[in-house]
This record gives sequence, C-alpha cells and structure tokens, in this order.
Amino acid sequence: MSTEAASGKNELRPALKLLPIPVSRRARAILLVPLAVGVCALPSFVSAYAVTLAVEVMIAGVFASGINLLTGYTGLVSLGQAMFLGLGGYGIAIGTALLGWPLWVSAPVTLVMVAAIAAAIGAICTRTRGVEFLLITLAFSQMFYGAAIKLRWTNGSDGMTGIPRPDLSLLGVSADSPATFYYYVLAVSALALLLLWRIVNSPFGSILVGIRENERRMMSMGYAVANYKIGSFALAAMVCAVAGILQSQYTYFVSPDSMSWQMSGEGVLMVIIGGANVIFVPFVGAAIFVLVKQALSLITDEYNLFFGIFFMLVVAFFRGGVLGTVTNLIENRR
Amino acid sequence: MQLSMLVFLLAVGLTLIFGLMNILNLAHGAFFTMGAYFGLVVANKTGSFWLALLIGPLLPFGVGFVLQFFVLQPLAQRGRSTHLDLALLTFGLLFATAGAVEYIYGSAFHSIAAPDVLKGRIALLGIEYPLYRLFIIAVGIAIALALVLVIDRTLVGATLRAGVDNREMVTALGININVLFALVFGFGSALAGFAGVVSAPVMSIYSSMGIGIVVTTFVVVVVGGLGNLKGSFYASLIVGMTDTFAQAFLPEAELFAVYALLIVVMSFRPQGLFGAVGRVA
Repeated sequence: MSTEAASGKNELRPALKLLPIPVSRRARAILLVPLAVGVCALPSFVSAYAVTLAVEVMIAGVFASGINLLTGYTGLVSLGQAMFLGLGGYGIAIGTALLGWPLWVSAPVTLVMVAAIAAAIGAICTRTRGVEFLLITLAFSQMFYGAAIKLRWTNGSDGMTGIPRPDLSLLGVSADSPATFYYYVLAVSALALLLLWRIVNSPFGSILVGIRENERRMMSMGYAVANYKIGSFALAAMVCAVAGILQSQYTYFVSPDSMSWQMSGEGVLMVIIGGANVIFVPFVGAAIFVLVKQALSLITDEYNLFFGIFFMLVVAFFRGGVLGTVTNLIENRR
Repeated sequence: MQLSMLVFLLAVGLTLIFGLMNILNLAHGAFFTMGAYFGLVVANKTGSFWLALLIGPLLPFGVGFVLQFFVLQPLAQRGRSTHLDLALLTFGLLFATAGAVEYIYGSAFHSIAAPDVLKGRIALLGIEYPLYRLFIIAVGIAIALALVLVIDRTLVGATLRAGVDNREMVTALGININVLFALVFGFGSALAGFAGVVSAPVMSIYSSMGIGIVVTTFVVVVVGGLGNLKGSFYASLIVGMTDTFAQAFLPEAELFAVYALLIVVMSFRPQGLFGAVGRVA
C-alpha cells in the first residue's frame, strides 16, 4: 500500500484502507483473521444478549455506512437519511403485509423504489450545498415522517407489525432464532460492505472524493458533477434502506419513529465517532454508539439528555473520530 | 396570524444568528424551551405574567452568550468546518436541553395563565377575536419594527453589519467583535425565550416543545432569505398561513405543507423568496 502511495499512482484514490495505519500484509492477516473468525463464531461463545447487541451494531453499521458514502466520501452532510431507513422498513412492510408478496420479491422491489425516490429527491437536494443541503434533506425526511404518521393505509403513528424474517427452512434453520438471524444480518452486512468497497475503489468513487475535495475543478475537468452527486445520493439511500429492512425484520415492526430526525442525527453521530476513511469505521462508530446507548439505558431513563451531551462532546473533542485519534497517536509516535 | 407571529419571534432571533452571523444554530428550539420554562418558574413564584415575560428570556440570553463566547467561537476559530460542526453541536444541545427539562420537570404539560387584562375578547370587523392573540400580533410587529430600526439606523447595528462583512477590519478598529457577536447571539436566544413565554398561555409548555418548532423556524429563515429581517417577517406570515390553512382545509397535509413549501422555494429560488441575489451565504 505504501509503495503505491510513494509512486503517486494512488494519489487521487480515496484513502480507503482496511486498517487505519499502513502495515505489512502479514500484520494485517494477524489482525484481521482472528477478527473475522471471532465475528463468525461469536454466537457460539457469548450470551444471547450479546448476540442481539451484535445484530443491532451491524444494522446500525450498515445505516452508518450508507451515510458515510454520502457524507464521508462525497462531502454532503445530510440530516435526512433516516427517511430511507424508514422507507426500507415500510417498503417491505407494505410489500409483505399489505400486498402479500413474498419477501424475495418485496425486498428487491423496495430497493428499486427507494433508489428511484432517492434519485428524484437527490436531483432536487444536490442543487444546494452545505447548510442548505442539510436543511433540505431534513425537510424531505420530515415530510415523509409526517406522511407516515398521517397515512391510515400504513397504520399511521402506530406503525406496522408482522414483518417476516427470511424463510431459511431450506437450510434447515429458522431465522427466528437469534443466532441464525445473526448470521443472516452478518451476511447481508458483509455484502453491503463489499459493494461499498467496490464502489469507493472504482473510478466512480474517485470522482466522488474529487467532488468532496474540489467540486469546481471536477466540473472543469468535464465530469457531470450533478449526476455523480445524484448517484451517490441514491446509492447511499439504498444502503440505508437495506439497514431499514434489516431493522424492521429484527423487531418485526416498523413505525414512523424510524424516520425521525433524531434517527438521522444518530447516524451522522456514528459516522463522526468512527472518523477516518476506513472501510469498517462506521461499524466501529455504530458499535460504540449502540454500546453507550445500552449502557445509558441501564442507568438512566433520560436518554435524550445524555444523547445530547454525548453528541456535543464527540463533535467538540473527537472530530477526527475514535480511529482518527488513535491513528494520530500512532503516527505521532513513529 | 398568531402562529405566524410566534414563528416570527423565533425567526428573527434565528435570522440574527443564522442569517447574519452565519451560525447554523439548531439549538434555537432549546432556547425557546428554556425561556418558556424559566418564565413558568417565575410565573409560579410571583404569579405575574409580565414578570415572567421580562425575566424568562434572561436565562436563554445568558446561556446563548456563554455558548457563543466559550464554545462556538473558539471552535470556529480553530478552523473547523464551522457550519457543519456547529450545526451538529447545537443539534446535540437541542436534545440535551429537552432531556434536561424532562429530568427536572417531568414530561407533563404546563401552561402560564394570561394576565387578566388580556383575557377578554374583542369584536373586530364583526368577528369575536381573543385579545391575547391580538397582543401576540402586536408584540411581533413591534419587535419587527424595533429590530429594523436598531440594525439599520444605530451604531450597534452598523457595527454588527460591518462585523459580518469584514471581521478583521472591525477588529482593527478596536471593537471586540467576539463580545459583540456573543451579545447578539444571546439576544437572538433571548428572543426565542421571549417567544416561549409569549406562547405559554396559548400553547402548552412541554419538554420537547422546541424540537418540532425549530424546523419550522428554519423554513421561515430560509424561505425569507438568509439575513433578511423583512424577508423573514413576510416568510413567517406565509409559513404560518400555510400551516394554518393546511390544518383547516387539508388536515392530511398538515404535517408536510410547510416542508413542501421549503422544498419548492429551495428548488426554484435557493436564495429565498426575498433574498438578494448574489449574497453568498
């Protein structure tokens, strides 16, 4: 990795790495193989409670990864990504519960619909930038939130229940058991990560980073910047929708709350906690966030108070994120 | 009309902070809540609505001043990507305030009684209209006029406008711009707190009252054009009316009429309906 950087070949590539610091192939294997084995074997050596926590972490991680594509790579900070989380959940709820479609039809249809909606919304939102972008995405998500509360068809503010988990009886297991569901979520998350990894390492990904770094320059180089932004917006929305589908399957339930702007804020917070441009960083952020949230809910009911304080502290002191801070420490030592 | 004016009171404060000083302050709703609750405490102690109206905004003023002077200003000076960081920080403050209020006062709904003078109704063009609502409208208009005068016609206003346009130059003239900005931030927050107390007799006070209204306020400020006091006055009329009419005639659309308005405006006139073309915010 370091030789590539030295030859300058990789300069415009997004700084997407497996690990925050350059290490040899062997060191990477030593670090990553036990991690992978541990993740795969997790349900067999920890309690059921820990397994459900891990499921929550992964779902939140997928959500945060979607936001990271838009915020971290393209440089567009949105406070409305929860709308796609909610649309994902509502999509399969409508497909399976109201229209009676099987899951393997509803899920792809949902994703296609979300992509289409996101492309339309993105076409409007990406005309603005910075603060205005943040506000207009917020307005869109509030609109969907309002619609979800009002619509009788989807049960209004009560939300919809009875969302099925995938039928895995072919494999002889039931997704209703926590361990099986864990593997299902793990597989989907890994797929989503792989997809994102391919995206950000493709020329398309480089262009997104170019837009983040210097939009005018990309424009004068002849790239149709607007289309790339819309593409990034739609892809990010799809990843968020995947998280929404998993979330609704996890709880068998979807409600307008999944579209609230607090949810969007939580997603952005996870990305900030994570920090540096490393492929699984949103997952680190998600893990920290979910664990802190769990710990807080054990000691206090005043979740909002601590959520707010936590949020402020992270923004004020950990802007580089946890991994960013760690990386800086390591690099300063060298 | 009354909703318009309440939103306007919030929006002028935000126009000062967001429009002029360019700080995306999502915590504006928090100051609204603080003002309302501090007013409630004063009203319960003294039984006087007027004292509550006078003292209630002091807490948001102090907190706003401290926040700008000791937190936001230093962060901005450390060269962070100011807008977004400050937006996210104040987003946290918004929820922390809602949580803190809930911790102290519980999640019950409260209200401050309107003073006796303003309790009656009055016949206006053949329609009975509650006096208190007229009071709200009058207060809104009075504050609008006063602010326009202060900002356009006084030395303080001129200094503020100059500070926004060219910070270094104003500093070089020997003016402590940080203190001035913190004062203005505090004043904007105080206006939000004032709106909180004013709204208390007609709307209820509850812990997350500020979270919903802050989005509406932003709609007003953006629709009106950033930093444009007159614009936000007209915009608050438009937004308030949109919301009221939607509630009356199309209840299904109640929750999103206002957002639809924002989206339409931003799609066709990103600088706001009344914003001057070319002002780069």
